[in-house]
Amino acid sequence: MLMSTPRNHANAVKLTMLLAGVVLILMMAFGLVMRAAQGGLFELDPAFFYRLMTAHGAGMVGVAALTGAAVLWYFVSRYVDLIEGVYWAFLGLFLLGVVLILGSIFVGGYGGAWTFLFPLPAISGGAWEASAAVAFILGYISIGVGFLLFYLEVGRKIVAAYGGIGRALAWPLAFGGAQPDDAPPPTIVAAMATTVFNTIGIVVGATVLVSSLVNLLVPGFAVDALLAKNMIYFFGHVFINASIYMAVIAVYEIVPEYTGKPWKTTRPFALAWTAILLFVMAVYPHHLLQDTVMPAWALVMGQIVSYLSGIPLLVVTAFALCVYLRGSNIRWDLASALLVLGVAGWSVGSAPAIIDGMISVNKLMHNTQWVPGHFHIYLILGEVAMAFGFMAWLVKDARASEFTGIDRLGLGIYLLGGTGFTLMFLISGALSVPRRWAVHAEEWFLQDRIATGFGALVVLGALIFVALYAKGLSARRES
Amino acid sequence: MQLTVLVVSLMFMIIIALFFISAIRASQTGGSDLTAKIDRSHLFWGMLAFGFAVTLVSLWEWPHRITSGQNVVTVNATGAQWSWGIDKEEVPVGQPVVFNVHTQDVTHGLGVVDPNGRLLFQAQGMPGYVNKVEHIFKQAGEYRVICMEFCGVGHHDMITEFKVVAN
Repeated sequence: MLMSTPRNHANAVKLTMLLAGVVLILMMAFGLVMRAAQGGLFELDPAFFYRLMTAHGAGMVGVAALTGAAVLWYFVSRYVDLIEGVYWAFLGLFLLGVVLILGSIFVGGYGGAWTFLFPLPAISGGAWEASAAVAFILGYISIGVGFLLFYLEVGRKIVAAYGGIGRALAWPLAFGGAQPDDAPPPTIVAAMATTVFNTIGIVVGATVLVSSLVNLLVPGFAVDALLAKNMIYFFGHVFINASIYMAVIAVYEIVPEYTGKPWKTTRPFALAWTAILLFVMAVYPHHLLQDTVMPAWALVMGQIVSYLSGIPLLVVTAFALCVYLRGSNIRWDLASALLVLGVAGWSVGSAPAIIDGMISVNKLMHNTQWVPGHFHIYLILGEVAMAFGFMAWLVKDARASEFTGIDRLGLGIYLLGGTGFTLMFLISGALSVPRRWAVHAEEWFLQDRIATGFGALVVLGALIFVALYAKGLSARRES
Repeated sequence: MQLTVLVVSLMFMIIIALFFISAIRASQTGGSDLTAKIDRSHLFWGMLAFGFAVTLVSLWEWPHRITSGQNVVTVNATGAQWSWGIDKEEVPVGQPVVFNVHTQDVTHGLGVVDPNGRLLFQAQGMPGYVNKVEHIFKQAGEYRVICMEFCGVGHHDMITEFKVVAN
């Protein structure tokens, strides 16, 4: 193992995080505009609202995945010799995909949401041409190909270095008599698991994307809507969850620097990651609980696995971090605070997610604002907080002081804004406000407007984090 | 029901947050935090047992059950960009009403909202399939049907009404 990340990989990741920071602010601004428009603060053409919504959804999922991948690459390159060119190919294909997606939305008028639910891309009711939907899907395919290259490189190097997928997942420790000292480090276990399940997820996603593409070009080519929906939600669920599971590697690697205590692969840790590998793929039917034509066993599985998925998160990741922190004398700065916040937010967000995974609750909460409520907790206070923490850590050497006033201000604003913003979604969901409506009834304006205020704080906090990162990068270049 | 879901969720969210807050406080003092009071294996088995009980209770009666019989009223609801077609203008209070949800084009989501603006139930309308959902209305009044699945630029305009009447 190298003590530090090779400079060429580190530079590529730093550039990625700068791009991601700018995109994050832009996507958050899109979200803020949508909430303000829903609250009647100004009028927005519904067609434009749905284009913004599509860009916001695709952009946030994309940038969450990008930051997660950057974290994974940065730390895995300490353990195995990764080919730098693969990362540039991944980033190039990602940016090509972004250009295609933005072009399809803001030039072609595509507004079919990030979920591209078949057959909506082909049946827009006159809102966009098939060519715009084709560009959107080609954008996704470009990003997917980039990720497959990325995982191929990460996967083959880990398998070669650690003697197979099972060994990289610490199965000899989980299921055999191996000792913790012989197990791979947590980063490798997490990277192997995400490589396996996200590769499968992306291949399934690519299949349904190509089917949708053929349907757009040859409308006589019919795709079964239920099969397509299963595949889309399998892909979508796995992909966004992989972003969080990749980002948590930053916690395993960085937090020990602040405590002096290593984060070790233990038997519960190894078992938890094997459970995660299975649960992330088996849970997706909880997105189809209102499709009563689905086999009953699949819906039951969706509910049960949805609950079980919380166990490795709460009993292993969250519990272990709390135990780890106790008496650790951790040095608090912006990076360590945001990384701990990321795990806390992710854990807190699991409660409304799991409850919505119950069929009887889902009947009342599905596709209300409850749903963006729980996944915005996962993102704003979870994955994105970890990404900002990673960014702060990347430039911490360039900072004069460890935890400055501006750091505390940014953190406070972001935490307050994120908490209030997501709480308004949950309250609106409990009040039966549907999600993804460009125009809201007047009786929903109050919580929309309060959410807009909190959303502005989130954007402000994010602006501070990204500005500090850019300043830190600039200072490092000068030194 | 929705209020209960909100309160229960907030309760669990606050408990989880308190664990982190106590751990953060104990990070500098070395004092005891909430995790020190709990054995991890007890937490694991406790969560499993709680999940088993909740699963059993919540699925004992299948949430998507459809009853059959002469007193069942059937309503065909068909979504199309961007309106709902309902083949009955009135349904009775106190009798099982089964909604067959169809679509003519893309996926829609049938959501039925009571006179107080509370969502009562929903089901998806998917091309090539008919999803069924059953409900027994308890009070008479004007009910709204809205779209719960994003279906294009007129998604929010898919609103129609029907009446629930006393027998």
